[in-house]
Amino acid sequence: MANEITLTIDGAEVTTTPGTNVLQAAMDAGIYVPYLCYYPGMKAFGACRMCIVEIEGGPPGNQASCTVPAADGMVVKTKTDGVTDSRRGIMDLLLSEHPHGCLTCHRIDLCGPNDICLRHVSVNDRCVTCPKNERCELKDTVRFLEMEMDTPLTYNNRQIPLRVADPMWDMDLNLCIVCGRCVRVCDEVRGDNVLTFTDRAGRGLIGTSNGSSLLESGCEFCGACIDVCPTGALVERKHKWDKAAKTVTSVCPMCPVGCQMTLEIDERNKLIRAIPDRHAKVNRGQGCFKGKFGLDFVNSRKRITRPIVRVDGEAREATTVEALDVAAERLAEHRGEGFALLASPMGTNEDGYTAQKFARSVMGSNNVDISSNMRPELTPALEEMLGVPAATNPIWDLEQSKCFLVVSSNMTEEQNVVAVPIKKALKSDASLVVIDQRETELTRYADIWLRPTPGSETALIGGMLRVVFEESLDDHDFLEDRCEGVKTLKDSLWAFDLTRVSPMTAIPAEEIRRAARMIAGGDPCAFLYGLETMEPGLRDACVRGIVNLALATGNVGKRSAGIYPLYPGANEQGARDVGCVPDRLPGHRPVGDGEARERIEQAWGASIPDRPGIPATGMAAAAAGGELRAMVVVGGDRSLANGDLGDLAASLGNLDLLVVMSTFESDLTEIADVVLPLATFAHKQGTYTNLERRLQLLSPALGAVGEEETEWRTLSQIAQRMGAAGFDHPDEASVFDEVNNLVGAYGGMTYDRLRQDGLQWPCLAADMGDTPRLHEEDAHGRKLSMSRMALADVQRHTDAEFPYLLAHGRVLHDPDRTMEIGTVKRKSVIVRDEVIEIHEDDAGSMGVAEGDWARVVSDRDSVQGVVQLTSPLPGMVSTTSLFGQMITDLDRSRDPAPMLGVDSLPLVPVRVEKIEPAAAG
Amino acid sequence: MPDYRELKAEADRRWEELTQGPRPWIRVGAAMCGQAAGALDVIDAIGSELGRTGADARVDPVGCIGLCYAEPIVDILSPGGTRLLFGNVSPSDAPRLLDSVLNGGRVPVDKAIGYLGPRVAGVPDLATLPGVGGQEKIALRNAGNIAPDDIYQYIANGGYGGLARALGEMKPEGVVDEMKASGLRGRGGAGFPTGVKWSFMARGGPPKYILCNCEEGDPGAYNDKGILESDPYTLIEGMTLAGYATNASNGFVFIRHGHDGPISRTERAIEQAYEVGLLGKNILGSDFGFDMEISLTGESYVAGEETALMESIEGKRSMPRFKPPFPAAFGVWGKPSTINNVKSFSYAPQIVSRGGDWFSSVGRENCTGTAIVCLSGDVKRPGMYEVPMGTRMGDVVEEIGGGTPSGRPVKMIQLGGPLGHILGAESLDYGLDFDEMREHGAMLGSGGVIVGDDTRCAVDMARLLVAFCQYESCGKCFPCRLGMTQLLEMIERIADRQAAPGDVDLMNRVGSTMESSSLCFHGQLGYNPLRSALVNFPDDFRAHLEEGRCPSGDCEEPLLAPRNTRAFAEEHRTGAAPIQVLTR
Repeated sequence: MANEITLTIDGAEVTTTPGTNVLQAAMDAGIYVPYLCYYPGMKAFGACRMCIVEIEGGPPGNQASCTVPAADGMVVKTKTDGVTDSRRGIMDLLLSEHPHGCLTCHRIDLCGPNDICLRHVSVNDRCVTCPKNERCELKDTVRFLEMEMDTPLTYNNRQIPLRVADPMWDMDLNLCIVCGRCVRVCDEVRGDNVLTFTDRAGRGLIGTSNGSSLLESGCEFCGACIDVCPTGALVERKHKWDKAAKTVTSVCPMCPVGCQMTLEIDERNKLIRAIPDRHAKVNRGQGCFKGKFGLDFVNSRKRITRPIVRVDGEAREATTVEALDVAAERLAEHRGEGFALLASPMGTNEDGYTAQKFARSVMGSNNVDISSNMRPELTPALEEMLGVPAATNPIWDLEQSKCFLVVSSNMTEEQNVVAVPIKKALKSDASLVVIDQRETELTRYADIWLRPTPGSETALIGGMLRVVFEESLDDHDFLEDRCEGVKTLKDSLWAFDLTRVSPMTAIPAEEIRRAARMIAGGDPCAFLYGLETMEPGLRDACVRGIVNLALATGNVGKRSAGIYPLYPGANEQGARDVGCVPDRLPGHRPVGDGEARERIEQAWGASIPDRPGIPATGMAAAAAGGELRAMVVVGGDRSLANGDLGDLAASLGNLDLLVVMSTFESDLTEIADVVLPLATFAHKQGTYTNLERRLQLLSPALGAVGEEETEWRTLSQIAQRMGAAGFDHPDEASVFDEVNNLVGAYGGMTYDRLRQDGLQWPCLAADMGDTPRLHEEDAHGRKLSMSRMALADVQRHTDAEFPYLLAHGRVLHDPDRTMEIGTVKRKSVIVRDEVIEIHEDDAGSMGVAEGDWARVVSDRDSVQGVVQLTSPLPGMVSTTSLFGQMITDLDRSRDPAPMLGVDSLPLVPVRVEKIEPAAAG
Repeated sequence: MPDYRELKAEADRRWEELTQGPRPWIRVGAAMCGQAAGALDVIDAIGSELGRTGADARVDPVGCIGLCYAEPIVDILSPGGTRLLFGNVSPSDAPRLLDSVLNGGRVPVDKAIGYLGPRVAGVPDLATLPGVGGQEKIALRNAGNIAPDDIYQYIANGGYGGLARALGEMKPEGVVDEMKASGLRGRGGAGFPTGVKWSFMARGGPPKYILCNCEEGDPGAYNDKGILESDPYTLIEGMTLAGYATNASNGFVFIRHGHDGPISRTERAIEQAYEVGLLGKNILGSDFGFDMEISLTGESYVAGEETALMESIEGKRSMPRFKPPFPAAFGVWGKPSTINNVKSFSYAPQIVSRGGDWFSSVGRENCTGTAIVCLSGDVKRPGMYEVPMGTRMGDVVEEIGGGTPSGRPVKMIQLGGPLGHILGAESLDYGLDFDEMREHGAMLGSGGVIVGDDTRCAVDMARLLVAFCQYESCGKCFPCRLGMTQLLEMIERIADRQAAPGDVDLMNRVGSTMESSSLCFHGQLGYNPLRSALVNFPDDFRAHLEEGRCPSGDCEEPLLAPRNTRAFAEEHRTGAAPIQVLTR
């Protein structure tokens, strides 16, 4: 088959690739053909018949161009009289049941956007009753067709009540044209099948596929249906009626996927909508509940807009100059290793770089980290074994993977868009092995779901490796050509006999074999890990096991294979790259490496301490213990307060000086000596590096409402006040120039080059391309090294007060259990009894029996439900809640930025108390 | 695996015992037509009469012999070889009938409609009956003659001779060639040559699928169901032959949910075919294997559209796909599939066993074989008749059907199903032939012929068909979903004499939009009945539009039980599942 075909559309020669449909070929060539049901990137559906064309020498009559594959030599006419007439005929029919006052009202040209409707049209049909007026594809199409709007067909408004009870979205079926885009995107792209067609014929519509509410249909509230809806039938509830004054494409700060979002800004400087960018390579038009419905925190009136200075325990508003002066003066008293800086994962690379430069060169301390860096062990083993501490392959490679191993990651919530191509691949023929104690959305898709004894994950992976070699399922050529340390690894695997591994993990040997065969047989297989449920001390060994397994099965350095560490923070990869971590300088140079330190010192003209600093996880204790005397904390997000870092507010109370840069008030701003208002992502220019090593450019979308400022500018101002040189960059681009001089992998990048889709590092020079996939070839003859594995005994969880571990899972949909949708204050709520699963061996010591009510209490919170003796592991309690419940809670939350505080689901020590059903209420 | 000769010998032995044994063999027509007329009660009555008298006779519910007007038909073969058919039998007739056969009592001549074989005094020869003569039975050769739950009866009557010949002496291509030589054109309505269709099936091995379409939702069509109820084996053999010819390994019979008789009889027949090794692996000792199962759909007319049918088999909502890709390359589950109507498959065994040339000698040159006509409406003898292609419509309606019961002239003929046309009396001169009908601007369709005499109103007939097409639109493509609704509202206005002056023009505009732009035949042809009524019966429309009256009074009755094509609000408010029943 030729790689290019040429056809003629409306007399113009158009070149396209085989398999492209005529409609897409025309659009790619800039020839507009109206369409309503087609959506670029999705399969053709052929329902609206608006894209009909005539094809010379093809089948007679009108052909829907979305369903006709372009062929070489084809001659297409898109604008004949017959075609236009048919299109108008169809549009007449459509408008016979779609309110169209927006097109027929004689005041259309007279009304301004904020005029009060003078009521020339019946209430249901007014332009102002459509949330998508002037954003409506149907209206655009009518205008394109130059309709007279004088059809004598009878008009019927469907008179269906609006559906506004579900969280986040509104559904107005009176505006629905039944194009099916929402149904198809939910099925074809998201794999959720929440929406479906209902009824048929003249009453055909769309609706939820299971019951009356999204909450019982398994919705993940990604908003994809809203994004594809051509009319006002499906809309975001918040800012529903607001009109955009401008749009800016920037990067979502919610997670390390870094989705590009088109931000709609209204005249009042508010972010009113976020629409995932369809053209972006990183997310291909997809987003998630956080990005779709959570970004409007930037509009909050509770934002801090003026600096606050606390003198003698009295807080008062101050000017920025005054606050900076105070901060600089006080910080100058605390130079040295008694100082720590905790940066925000929502900071850009420029922010992170400046932060660590400030801490190291101005304050003389390596105590710098980002607050989301809870699992620093995710990448060091990658660097040691493969040479690069980052994911090897791009996200959308996963669409073609044939197998996945997911280790302890709740990615459908934490890095949602990574799961989109995975779910898509699983829908065709890929297989999935999940190692996780919790029930998550992915465990429901898993071919094999392994729930090992907590702490035995590495043993399990070692067992699988043992099977791979034992059954000769390894990739011999790959190991021979590309790897070293194979023998060391193999020798160390003797300990991992399944007769030992199986009882240790509480997983039958045959299951381990089956999983190993599935992974080895899946060519290519991708490995993703979050290690969210693992103890810090066990994580590094587990990563080594995963890398060993990926290497042994030959799944490094090729398309749709590879290894993906999944961390929580948006710019965590970038922060690591630019040295905003306690043990690494910019470019991942170890702090202890004298030569590297010298180079940076030269560049900065300052000296750097040679010992790694205190990591984020240790800062609370260090502050409480008096080791730290002064801190700068950036960000007010919940990760600082939700317990992962310990009780930060209490510990930081001990400090002599606390400077906080924050967007919102928090426990920390309450006790800070200086509070400086922090700009949000929507105000920022700068770069994020996502989990596939892609640097993308943030563009400022909102103007400032007060004195808020970015981290790098604030810190630079303080540094300058403290007399430091090298903090006088005029803008972000200039900071980035300094960064890419020191971070080799960023060397060839400039803002201009990043503007479209960004670049994946390494991109070493301005005349070199980027690197979507790592290790595709031998880099300088460097071998990929395997790592010795040791079978460690599992440390049983022992705690007198909280003797059990709770594996709290969350799924979209639980068809096996009864639930009802109730209504509270006109909003849908989930009504169901939670189930507490305990192991039968534990029932006695807990004093509960099957069917009893019990409360599971941790040091943070508690859940209660009906006891079932179905937990697979002694000592483990598990419960699975519904995603819909969380969304309902988030929707109702009074927190100004609820989506920033979505709880992760670690294993939590708990105790179990029997309660009376009455107490359960 | 038994070979064909052993099977045939066993079947012949059993058949001989049935037909020449000491016991009478009583066959009761118990297809839908028979059951509707009370055949099951008659069978019960015969059973209890036999029990009461202690007499010995074999009773088999059989399919439809075609004379639906005379159901329930009791067909008694006496040990002496006399075979008498009694029509319109009621349960109270059972003692009389049995008495005549078992004890040599008086033959109830008033109930007898004809004899086969030795002459019986006072009873006509069945072959001379107008409803029987003039027919040429190929697909229906066994209908009413064999029990549809006994595969040996089918084999004894020549069944599986075709498959035995194909597996024994023909290559798959040979079977396709035979089908091509027969000139058989697909009986689903489109008339595409079946052999050519089989030859389109993508090369290469399984999985490939043979699909049989027995959705048969046309009002007034029952020949597919009739075959499945009367002789499901011929379909099974036909599909197995198609599987052999196209190297496919699986067959699905797609039957509309609710057609209980055809479903249970086909199920039983498939089970039996497996039992005797005529389905499954190594059929008749060959290397060829074929599996079959039944797939059901909900009540949806469009599910009979071939691509919608595939969606339905896959478990999805039955909405048509667009073509290309065509089923022969991308069918069920994306695999090559060949789909034919029940009738098309049912001819295949005879074509293969007797040769394509024989088949092509029946009917017309370009339209070979027979047409299976389901005659209903204003005729004396409604029934299922198989006549050679090319037979004059008038011969069918007037000779076989006996004309209108009232003796009034035929006014209209509804041909081709609900997407077909309402033709005037001139259509009595048309031959039953795909091409001839097309020349007259009509469609032969799949065999439903509904006759109306001159007391009928064409507006009412059109309204009925439009209501059907509107209700049965799947709701996928815009022109059909919205257009049919508008058409129905307009024709209802006309019937109700409330029409606006421009409604006819508007109907034409909506109709032509649907025709030019719809996704599948449902929308493309959905305007046919209305347009043909407008063209053929302008007077009826003029009376409604201009004179404010319905000449026949048919339109005085409301068409449907209370319903509104667009009444959304109530069920959306209550969340109740919308159920709409199309009742007169």
